[in-house]
Amino acid sequence: MAQNNHSAPARYGWFTQVALAFRREWTMIFNDVGVMLFFIALPLMYPVIYTLIYNPEVVRDLPLAIVDNSRTEMSRELIRRIDASPSASVYQYCTDMAEARHLFGNNEVSGIIEIPSDYEKNIVSGKQATVPFYGEVSLLLRYRALLSTLTDVQLVTAEDLSASKIAQTGLASTGLGGLPIENHNNFLGDPGQGFASFIMPGIIILILQQSMVLGICFIGGTARERRRKFFGTDPLALDGLSASATVLGKALTYVIFYIPMTIYVVRFIPEMFNLPHQGAVIDYLLFLFPMLVASAFFGQTVQILCKERESAFIVVVFTSVAFLFLSGLTWPRYAMNDFWLWISDLVPATWGVEGFIRINSNGASLAESSRPFIALWIQSAVYFCTAVWVTAYIRRRSIRKYGPLPSDASTITSD
Amino acid sequence: MANLGFWSTVRREVRRMTSRKMYFAGMVFVPIAMLFFFVSLLSPGLPLKVPTAIVDLDHSSMSRRITRSLEATELIDISRHLESYDKAMEQVRRGDIFGFFVIPADFEKDVMAGKRPTLEYYNNLTYFVPGTLTFKGFKTVAVTTSGGVVKTMLTSVGADDATAMAMIQPMTFDTHPIGNPWLSYSIYLGPTFTICLLGLMMFLMTVFSITMEIKNGTSPEWLATARGHMTVAVTGKLFPHFIVWSVIGQFCLAILFCYNHFPCGSIFWLAVGMELFVIASLGFGLFVTTVVPNPRLAFIMCALIGILTFSFAGLSFPVQQMYGPIAIFSYLVPQRYMILIYFFVGLDGFPIYYSRLYFAALLIFPLVAGTLLRRLRKACLKPVYVP
Repeated sequence: MAQNNHSAPARYGWFTQVALAFRREWTMIFNDVGVMLFFIALPLMYPVIYTLIYNPEVVRDLPLAIVDNSRTEMSRELIRRIDASPSASVYQYCTDMAEARHLFGNNEVSGIIEIPSDYEKNIVSGKQATVPFYGEVSLLLRYRALLSTLTDVQLVTAEDLSASKIAQTGLASTGLGGLPIENHNNFLGDPGQGFASFIMPGIIILILQQSMVLGICFIGGTARERRRKFFGTDPLALDGLSASATVLGKALTYVIFYIPMTIYVVRFIPEMFNLPHQGAVIDYLLFLFPMLVASAFFGQTVQILCKERESAFIVVVFTSVAFLFLSGLTWPRYAMNDFWLWISDLVPATWGVEGFIRINSNGASLAESSRPFIALWIQSAVYFCTAVWVTAYIRRRSIRKYGPLPSDASTITSD
Repeated sequence: MANLGFWSTVRREVRRMTSRKMYFAGMVFVPIAMLFFFVSLLSPGLPLKVPTAIVDLDHSSMSRRITRSLEATELIDISRHLESYDKAMEQVRRGDIFGFFVIPADFEKDVMAGKRPTLEYYNNLTYFVPGTLTFKGFKTVAVTTSGGVVKTMLTSVGADDATAMAMIQPMTFDTHPIGNPWLSYSIYLGPTFTICLLGLMMFLMTVFSITMEIKNGTSPEWLATARGHMTVAVTGKLFPHFIVWSVIGQFCLAILFCYNHFPCGSIFWLAVGMELFVIASLGFGLFVTTVVPNPRLAFIMCALIGILTFSFAGLSFPVQQMYGPIAIFSYLVPQRYMILIYFFVGLDGFPIYYSRLYFAALLIFPLVAGTLLRRLRKACLKPVYVP
């Protein structure tokens, strides 16, 4: 082992060095249970757990408290319509607002509808009736579901009432059997408006990047610990190889390791849970290849922050949340200010999520996703350079800080 | 306390915390950086002006009027005028626009002839927020256009404006979103994500500080400083953590509710909740460490749970709608209770009475952690590091 360390560059060409680094990294990850956990268990289990959380997809039958001060046929008809809608259901009729507020505070209802006492009177006498709705907005998803239900109820009620009224007045004899203009809405990409269908395609890409980066940082942290112990050299690393060959060889290991994981995650998870999967398989697999490459180099760059094994958790884990936001999935990129836009450009998953969603959910072709595709290749090139620098820096600095190798250290390194 | 070695344990821990940059990074830098990240990124509140397009196949005065009302809507930015459905669809796939509005050919003619033409609009829901905003903007314009035609018809045959309006729209809902009338994402996601992030970092740093003793073999010395009392050792170790996290937690509340003036019912009770939340989270981290006193497993457990909490704590998708066996997990983490406290005490401004159980629940976490201390003691006396 120690012989490899010092004699490699003299004997081997660059491509052989890449192959050597590749072979060494391959045995390294298979001998480290912790890394195997990140590289295998995480991409295998996480998408399933996440989808199970979000799989109910939509909010249904949100409980409402009703305060009916009108108590007329029309108000009852309105309540029936609300109850019949998919998103809302009548939880309880309350005698007054105080009772309804109590239910609200106990987290039993998501909203209160207060029908005023002059509801029917107003409608019949040709005035507009107003019905207050108080909704809790702790979760916008819930509020929005209620709001769109109420809008639909309002439209249906209006159509019903106005058709008969216009006919009664005889003002318009134009054969107005309904609205003069129909409108029709089409949801693209996620026609069921499901939450899992929206968020999972992005999350699985983030999982791929983050599990890989976490694993790489774990490996890097462990290697740094060894360097501290062995006077700046890592007996398990091939320090004699050139930095660029080492970085490329390692990246090759990670990417090859991740190809089956990627196929499982992007090909089978959406099918298993019936999430959107419109795109051509070959298109999104080709598209994701540079994302894996960029992530492998990105991880080897971030390694600089991990001075020991466990610090990988503190350095990497929280970034998943930041990267989720920066990817534009929860907060669209067009609304970011220049600073965050710039930061988000630096994350491989940003482009990975962007392109994968377009291909997978909207059925875009690889050509139509050329912008993120090119961005990922540019990132790969940039992060390759930074990773080479980091690798060389760590080697140099460890020797300076913990070395030089004492004269009797050969007994340690060649164990 | 002094003779039990509490203060010497505290002093020892403070020395450890100040001697490593990782503590500063995990306990101060990350939480505060992420707080500013959330606040700054979401500061517009709503991502208005969604890039969208119009496909006008009619080119009539009526279609131009619709285009103008679309342009006037603040939700969408309808700057692109495209000639065909295919072009628009291609732009959606490219990610240039999030939706488009189609005015069919002969639209005005068909309206006049009473043929009831259809306005079609398309929203890309793969990005939920812009997708729903586009939907709202398009639907509003489509419905008001239709209403406007009826109104014109009615007024032309002699009805006055108010009567016409009451005929078109006999009833409306007057909506009151409690606590967040702007439906701002900043108010919605800022505090909840900050709470979850604090929880995650508290879990990780507690595990870090305890398991590093085991890893480096310093745990017998730690226990000796506390004169062999595990309870003293743990409380002494976590006391400085509690102080730092309290300051960070209160700082987050101050930035969110005092500096940014997010709606908040009772800042006092929210601050009390934050203190309990810190204790509960440290307790949770301690509990995981006592169950698996091994750096790798404890870290993996805490990281996985901490990250999943962002999903199952019910801040994006409601817990009530999750599958039962999944929803249960959300009640096993302190973040859930803190978020509920924020919803009820902060956002909705309800009396403390309604949140009493959530406060009580937070107190259970440190008690549970205390039950397994013997396990940790055993691991500390004979530290074995499994990499």
